[in-house]
Amino acid sequence: MKVRFWGVRGSIPVPGRTTNRYGGNTSCVEVRPRNADPIIIDAGTGIRKLGKSLMEDSFGDGKGSASILISHTHWDHVQGLPFFSPLYRAGNQVHIFARQRDLHLEAVFSQQHDAAYFPIPLSAIHGDMHFHELVEGARFEIGKAKVTCARLNHPWVAIAYRVDVDGAAVVYCSDTAPFSDMLLGKDFIERPSFGTLPPPIRDELAAMRADIVALCKNADLLIYDTQFTPDEYKVRPHWGHSRPDDAIEIAREAKVKQLCLFHHAPLRSDDENDQILAHYREVTSADKFTLVSAYEGLEIPLGDQ
Amino acid sequence: MRIKFWGVRGSIPAPGPETNRYGGNTSCVSIETRAGKLIIIDMGTGLMHLGNALMANAFGKGQGRATILLSHTHWDHIQGLGFFPPVFIPGNIFTVWGPGGSPDVLEGILEGQMDPNFSPLQTLKNFAARFDVCAATPSFIAEDLSIAAREHPHGKTTALSFRIEEAGRTFVYASDVGYPETGPDAASIAFYKNADVLLHDTTYKPDDQATRRNRGFSSYEEACAAAIAAKAKRLVTFHYDQDYTDDDVDTIVAACRRLLDPHGIAVTPAREGDELEI
Repeated sequence: MKVRFWGVRGSIPVPGRTTNRYGGNTSCVEVRPRNADPIIIDAGTGIRKLGKSLMEDSFGDGKGSASILISHTHWDHVQGLPFFSPLYRAGNQVHIFARQRDLHLEAVFSQQHDAAYFPIPLSAIHGDMHFHELVEGARFEIGKAKVTCARLNHPWVAIAYRVDVDGAAVVYCSDTAPFSDMLLGKDFIERPSFGTLPPPIRDELAAMRADIVALCKNADLLIYDTQFTPDEYKVRPHWGHSRPDDAIEIAREAKVKQLCLFHHAPLRSDDENDQILAHYREVTSADKFTLVSAYEGLEIPLGDQ
Repeated sequence: MRIKFWGVRGSIPAPGPETNRYGGNTSCVSIETRAGKLIIIDMGTGLMHLGNALMANAFGKGQGRATILLSHTHWDHIQGLGFFPPVFIPGNIFTVWGPGGSPDVLEGILEGQMDPNFSPLQTLKNFAARFDVCAATPSFIAEDLSIAAREHPHGKTTALSFRIEEAGRTFVYASDVGYPETGPDAASIAFYKNADVLLHDTTYKPDDQATRRNRGFSSYEEACAAAIAAKAKRLVTFHYDQDYTDDDVDTIVAACRRLLDPHGIAVTPAREGDELEI
């Protein structure tokens, strides 16, 4: 399979000269098993250009089929979907997978197309869209690929995905806070406090972390939310993002082969991203895994080609 | 009036080296009045960068106030709001004038953007600043200036255009305007009449407009025709299609100059970071 990055940014797209090299589009990763339909993870603004490239293929003839795994429905992970060209060509099949919400998924995605916000209603899309609601721990197959998911620590809850196919495994862990300081769910936290956690919360976080380590076990590639530097995390632990340090700990415990820093902070310049990568390559110089930082256009071959 | 462009792109932000010169952020323009007051038009992703700049002055201390004029609520005109740092500082005061005829309906639409399924903010009520929402009327006063608003067709909906006058100088903002094939009516031309600066939707080249007329945007030819009919002194090109590269926009600007030079109308392309004094 091949893993290709189309959007690597968190929170909001950031066009401009300081993001040319890593890219300014929000989260979107394409997993392309050998001789099979694309599995797309997240539909941030990066999915717009992926859609254009797919239209040059069978999707342009209305004969394509794609699966989109959504980590959660915050804007930076769904905003590109209305601009995904294959949806507007009759005959294409698009399967959307996401964790179940209070509302049915189709209702959630319809809101993005409400007339107040976007000119084309979801009901006017010509391709066939199919919504699949997931719960944590769900296992399912997309063609020859096996998909597993686990809960992440993020406001209103996100899920991580593992895709096993072609003799290799890729795990996508974004967005998540570390599993140490607070449990993030439906409450709005205005001012965070660090302190001793009540035992039930501590245990729930420990179990969540253990599930994530298990999900990542021996993965060939782990893509991890590392939006924050350690200093930034100290003031925003409730925003639901991690530091490279947290990703490295998980990578070590799960014995992954390659770790990829992902979901870069919107105002992080290319030079700052270079410095972060160089620093953490030193930190991990004795580790067995390789460390990369995601940029638009990065393609990583895994397993059978 | 001092106009500054923070986002000049249409539909969706367009990052990449191919948009570096004109910019890839979506619609946001600021106006500093002669009295030093602030009017912001539209809240696309450019608003985040305006907000970061504002934090260096009164807005960083919770002593800022501004009027926000909102043309309509499509994503590319509101997406910056949740990333506008001054709304998280208690003491700042914002008054939004927007479409729909009802402040409750407009507030509900802005609230929907912050729905917990989509935004960690969960609700507008988590803003620390005061954030008042008003329905724009055909004329109103904001920041001591008289402002006129006019609804223009925009695909299946409408978008407001704004005409702002100060000390005998006039700025018109007319983005997301999709005229019928017959072009702007007499009332629209009257709305633009003699503007010192007419900022007008130039989303498309004519060939692209021909196949996408139902989307509710203007071609540069339509913008130039409006500027000529209204005897505007200067046309500002704006709201470039997300697929247009800088070279495409160069083509649009050059074509506008060819059309408007014979009429003595100047052309200024909207470019992120550029300023224009009226």
